[in-house]
Amino acid sequence: MAATPARKLKSGRELDGVELAILNKRMEAICRKMANTLLRTGRSGVLNSARDFSCCLVTGDNRLLTVSESLPIHVLRGADMMAEAMQQFHPELKKGDAYLHNSPYHGCSHPADHTILVPVIDDKGIHRFTMVAKAHQADCGNSIPTTYHGGARDVYHEGALIFPAVKIQEAYKDIDDIIRMCQLRIRVPQQWWGDYLAMLGAARIGEREMLQFGEEVGWDTLEQFADQWFDYSEQLMINAVRAMPAGKAITTSMHDPIPGAEQGIPIKIVLEIKPKEAMIEVDLRDNPDNYPCGLNLSQACTESSVLLGIFNGIAAPVPTNQGSFRRIKMHLREGCVVGIPKHPTSCSVATTNVADRLGNSVARAIAEIGDGFGMASTGSLIPPSIGVISGTSKKTHGAYVNQIFLGWGGGAASPQADAWISIGHIGNAGGCFQDSVELDEMRFPMFVRDRHYVTDSGGAGRTRGGESMFVEFGSTEGDMEVGYVTDGTITPAEGVRDGGPGRSASQFRRTLNGDLEPLAACAQALIREGESIVSFSPGGGGYGSPLERKAELVARDVREKWVSVEAARDKYGVVCDAAGTLDVAATEARRKTMMRAAQKH
Amino acid sequence: MRFAVDTGGTFTDLLVEDGKGEIRMYKAETTPDDPVRGVLDALGLAGKDIGLGQREMLEKGELFIHGTTRAINAIVTGNTAKTAFLTTKGHPDILVIREGGRSDMFNFKEPYPDPFIPRSLTYEVNERISFDGKVLEPLDEKAARTILEELKAKKVEAVSVCLLWSIVNSKHEERLGELIEQYLPGIPYTLSHRINPSLREYRRASSAAIDASLKPLMGAYLGSLERRLREAGFKGRVLVVTTQGGAMDALAMADAPIHSINSGPAMAPLAGRFYARQDSSAKDAIIADTGGTTFDVSLVRDGRIPWTRETWIGPVYRGHMTGFPAVDVKSIGAGGGSIAWVDQGGLLHVGPRSAGAVPGPVCYGKGGTEPTVTDACVVLGWIDPAFFLGGAMRLDRDKAADAIMAKVGRPLGLDLHNAAASIMRVATENMVHAIEDITVNQGIDPRGAVLIGGGGAAGLNAVAIVRRLGCAELVIPETGAALSAAGGLISDLRAEQSATHYTSTASFDRDGVNRTLAALDAKCQAFIAGPGAGSIEQIVEFTAEARYPSQIWEIEVHLRKPRFDGPADIETLRQDFHAVHEQIFAIADTKSAVEVVGWRASVRCRLRDTERLTIVQPKGARGATSKRRVFFADHGLVEAEVHRFEALPSDHRISGPAIIESSFTTVVLDPGASAVRRPSGSLAITPH
Repeated sequence: MAATPARKLKSGRELDGVELAILNKRMEAICRKMANTLLRTGRSGVLNSARDFSCCLVTGDNRLLTVSESLPIHVLRGADMMAEAMQQFHPELKKGDAYLHNSPYHGCSHPADHTILVPVIDDKGIHRFTMVAKAHQADCGNSIPTTYHGGARDVYHEGALIFPAVKIQEAYKDIDDIIRMCQLRIRVPQQWWGDYLAMLGAARIGEREMLQFGEEVGWDTLEQFADQWFDYSEQLMINAVRAMPAGKAITTSMHDPIPGAEQGIPIKIVLEIKPKEAMIEVDLRDNPDNYPCGLNLSQACTESSVLLGIFNGIAAPVPTNQGSFRRIKMHLREGCVVGIPKHPTSCSVATTNVADRLGNSVARAIAEIGDGFGMASTGSLIPPSIGVISGTSKKTHGAYVNQIFLGWGGGAASPQADAWISIGHIGNAGGCFQDSVELDEMRFPMFVRDRHYVTDSGGAGRTRGGESMFVEFGSTEGDMEVGYVTDGTITPAEGVRDGGPGRSASQFRRTLNGDLEPLAACAQALIREGESIVSFSPGGGGYGSPLERKAELVARDVREKWVSVEAARDKYGVVCDAAGTLDVAATEARRKTMMRAAQKH
Repeated sequence: MRFAVDTGGTFTDLLVEDGKGEIRMYKAETTPDDPVRGVLDALGLAGKDIGLGQREMLEKGELFIHGTTRAINAIVTGNTAKTAFLTTKGHPDILVIREGGRSDMFNFKEPYPDPFIPRSLTYEVNERISFDGKVLEPLDEKAARTILEELKAKKVEAVSVCLLWSIVNSKHEERLGELIEQYLPGIPYTLSHRINPSLREYRRASSAAIDASLKPLMGAYLGSLERRLREAGFKGRVLVVTTQGGAMDALAMADAPIHSINSGPAMAPLAGRFYARQDSSAKDAIIADTGGTTFDVSLVRDGRIPWTRETWIGPVYRGHMTGFPAVDVKSIGAGGGSIAWVDQGGLLHVGPRSAGAVPGPVCYGKGGTEPTVTDACVVLGWIDPAFFLGGAMRLDRDKAADAIMAKVGRPLGLDLHNAAASIMRVATENMVHAIEDITVNQGIDPRGAVLIGGGGAAGLNAVAIVRRLGCAELVIPETGAALSAAGGLISDLRAEQSATHYTSTASFDRDGVNRTLAALDAKCQAFIAGPGAGSIEQIVEFTAEARYPSQIWEIEVHLRKPRFDGPADIETLRQDFHAVHEQIFAIADTKSAVEVVGWRASVRCRLRDTERLTIVQPKGARGATSKRRVFFADHGLVEAEVHRFEALPSDHRISGPAIIESSFTTVVLDPGASAVRRPSGSLAITPH
């Protein structure tokens, strides 16, 4: 994206490091208040359990300023583009307006992420800021009961209702036409209504706080703060990039085949770190055109994934906003699967699968340029253990449809630490909660037979990749559909700098007589009462050679059952027993031999 | 005579109340290697001061009420017992998976936290109960015995058990308890449905694991405390303050030591509620307790102290959630020792790193080189370097000034006073955020609340904090410097009973609920007849843990009566829920039904018959008013009157700028603020 030149300061007086710190804390507190409200009042599991939502604050001229602690894929880019679309479609914004936005062609991530935008209008009628509350819905009116329609040929086949910044409140009152449309086309409408209230409540609380804040310190001061905060953030980014090694890397990855992309979806990243210019440049133009399936990325998800890979990889704390983004240059192409999609391309699954491949490949490219930077690949989504379940039961007083979050693992190893196991996928960075088995069994007609991490499933490395999670569950009342779009059954999460890959994903049906039948990677699986679905989520990649991992740590991994005695010997060159008692001499000898063999290759 | 002792990180605070309602305050250093010694030291000081001698004083004692950080320290330092975890087959990773969640999204330098009990000490038991209590797979006793034999061989010191749905059918957990007693005699164990009968397996498992792991240690500690108090002459009852803001017998605490996790901080709101009632007309109160390293915030909402089930030991998501219902206390790393620093981009930060007690702030002269909040206060003239802790420690102002200029002033282009004032502004902002976080979560508007300042460092920026929050009033109680101990002194004997029984107002299971409530009431009555015998007053209160359909976080609604006699009572519950939801979240879905997941009964037995908490004037306290130059950001250097807290006559109004100090604390009165000492002894401050 082009660098935005800093504007002239309005009040003429520079804010000092103390005022900046304090104003920033106040802005953050406002976003946090919004997020707290959303978390506590949301109705669907996606929202209140998995925290699949975000709140942020955009300046009047549509620059992302402050973000609550949110899922990164939601908020690095997009909020600014959505606010821009709101202004473009509604040149006259009024106090009391609220807009519903989920169009991936106008800045939203994907259609399941309903977003409420509230312009903050001061007493003089000037639009100062926009409050943004975005939440993944349990249902968005797709043609099948899932919010991730991997097989969708286009937006019509996908079926989601698309709202390109549509006015949903005027003078603080609902526009009932829109509400009624939603209630007629979204499954379990009272659940959507509850989540709508939660989002609206969050945005309105943010608006109220911002109005008070502006009155208290003056709107000019806040606008000046924004300019200086962008400069401050840019300066930290400049320092971070200057501390990185110069170099250029090309990484590739491949999303598994799915209907509409029968050969899989190859991804190629060209990334260059230019410390002298304090710039990172990423070129995505040499990638395939949009596919007739739901996996195409929206522009917001393309750019967010690139930023995510970079911010994960720079190893220094830098605020993520328009200011630090100025040091990143992206080359995108219209009509590209990782670029700018053209209507009616479907972006139903834009926040996860191909986005994961993209973000991971960016982080890996950085790692290839310099040890101590970047990351390995995180496992990908969406295995049945976090699929969308649906059916009809007495327990739910009729139809139910909800995404469950029974579990995932698959964190990527970083240069400094073993993986954060329960990361989910790169775009969510571990922010989601995982469901309580008891809570799910209480709310839905389901039975969770098993849930545990799998030994030897994280990528081996100097730092270890996160493990795969095994989950088995079934229906206790009638048939249950489970919608999922698993990636990583063929190409697992890659390790980096000689680190090993994670275990690949797989899924099965356990039939009434106990047999396991393989299931397709992308399906709306019908599980009959008494059967169960078995899900292995993918493991994450390792960083650095496993032969460099401290032998004591490997022995501890064995004692704690993350690594088997055999894998310790074969992959890490460490000899120990199941209790983790280390044979130091045998280990030294074995590692020497293995290192020599590795050098010959 | 009654004694309340709060063993904190740095000081052991003691309040002694004689039979006539007069209270005296003492502080001794905490002795971490043997905390009971610090307790006895403080008692020694008191005995000498009162002129009775320690033994004679203790012999007159009827109650000893103790707050201790022993349990939480053991967890933080990894000194708990070698504990095994037994759970349902297929679910061995409950303590590893936790509930997910992560903060600091782009920072991958921190490893994933280890489970509270390692996987190598986790065992799967063949059994399964369904959500409605049916036994889907019976307990395999033979396999269980094999596991217990292995635990014996591994020399496990404690055992925790959490089976899925034990809250609905506890048969399998009970049986495992019997087998543990049989095969591992003398090894303490905890069953999840007994210690924390609540939904969500991770929280219950975590409670059980933490509780079991503390049993050997807390049993020994509390045993030693009681024995040594007896040897010193004390013949009365030894109580320990609980994480739920009540008190229980030391022996009972040894059986369920998870109750002592937040023993100290949970007492502060008790005292805060007392002072809010006594010295203010505000409905809600915010209690801010500022020590050397932590800033603890708790609340009183409409006369009640709100609870949470999300107490973290250590950082959120990286520490351990106790899952145990407790007084909601928000702690952040902010206090006198918080370090000020300027980052690469030129932004000033204060904390979260602290200079701690060693080396401490630069002005302590113990080798600290990084400027802290205390250093800033000394430079501003707020703290008198010659009268810190009543003159017990002399502070080095010049060293503090050099450090502030080097690390903050010069990098930001500020002169010394403005640099120090900036440190205070940022520190104040951090504290304000901690307060805003907890008040927004509990639905309290700070503008209508009174702030009660406690802890030795509270008075330094309390006026600045209430100005930022817009609170109408600020109260610094006489016992403020030992607020937790004061809370201990007035705490009631307390026990909590809870049960899971799911129902909805749309199809209310009246008989089932009434049976559940009756069973809870019976347990409360047994408590009243047992530990509560002879108490002055007994109160039983009932609560529903309820939510809207498909919400997953419950909120508490107090029941107006312990029985549902008809549809009107059910409708009352529904309406009361809407009101509480609206209060906390600003919205209510008034057409919706309400689901209830859990029921709770709380029994309190009052032990203290007086309504006073007044400190005896120490000998020699006189109204020696002096003057000194102090700095305020908007006013520059000004001449301020300095008053002795204990010598202030009541109803005499002091206007800022002024300093009010005692041996235990310093209160800064900014220009424009005024203070008056109430007949109760408290300092009531009007911020504007």
